[in-house]
Amino acid sequence: MATETMVAIERPWSVVVWDDPVTPMSVVVVIFKKIFGYSNNKCTQLMLTVHHEGRAIVWSGQRERAESYCVKLQVAGLQSTIEHDQ
Amino acid sequence: MAGNKLFIRRRDGRIEVRLNDAGRAVAREAFGHVVAAERDPDHEWHASLNAPIDPASDDDDVVSKLHRQNEISTNAELAVMTLGEEFLNGAEAWAWLSTFQIALRSTAIANGLMTEEKLETCQPELLGYIRTLQQFLFALAECV
Repeated sequence: MATETMVAIERPWSVVVWDDPVTPMSVVVVIFKKIFGYSNNKCTQLMLTVHHEGRAIVWSGQRERAESYCVKLQVAGLQSTIEHDQ
Repeated sequence: MAGNKLFIRRRDGRIEVRLNDAGRAVAREAFGHVVAAERDPDHEWHASLNAPIDPASDDDDVVSKLHRQNEISTNAELAVMTLGEEFLNGAEAWAWLSTFQIALRSTAIANGLMTEEKLETCQPELLGYIRTLQQFLFALAECV
């Protein structure tokens, strides 16, 4: 008899950074590098996504870590929120 | 050429502050406002320092809010304490950058300057203040 196993996968939480007209682009890159340790290329790509699309998802995963990253971004002066992925 | 730079990273890792008295006065005002705004709920920058973490929720996690408040205050107070220094270490330079950035965004939010059009048409004195903070941030971002 086959056993059916249900695996519940929790939807991840995303950290979103929002665009504003005053923050210098180089500052956004520096903050991403400091907080996430991403490469220069990845930080620049994310910064450009924020700039062109108005927002970018910069990290996804467990809620507690998403909240912690969001707070770090806010402490560094960027507009950031978390959201539960659909 | 480093002649016109406001901040310079030295080989030993320290960051030299080359702001003149007028520049340090702008920094003092900006840092002072962040310290005051974190303590005073009526300060015009207070709301921008307490933006929602999860806008879909009625209320954010209290521990996260307290952590944010503590970190912003610590950075701003460290920035104030080191205002007269000729050299900053990495942590102090990061505190300066974070506090300048909070001051910049809070100024824009408090004055309703959240679009390029509104920014370009705001009062010249206010635009000058914003451009000065941006100049400090450009220079610091090259060093931290």
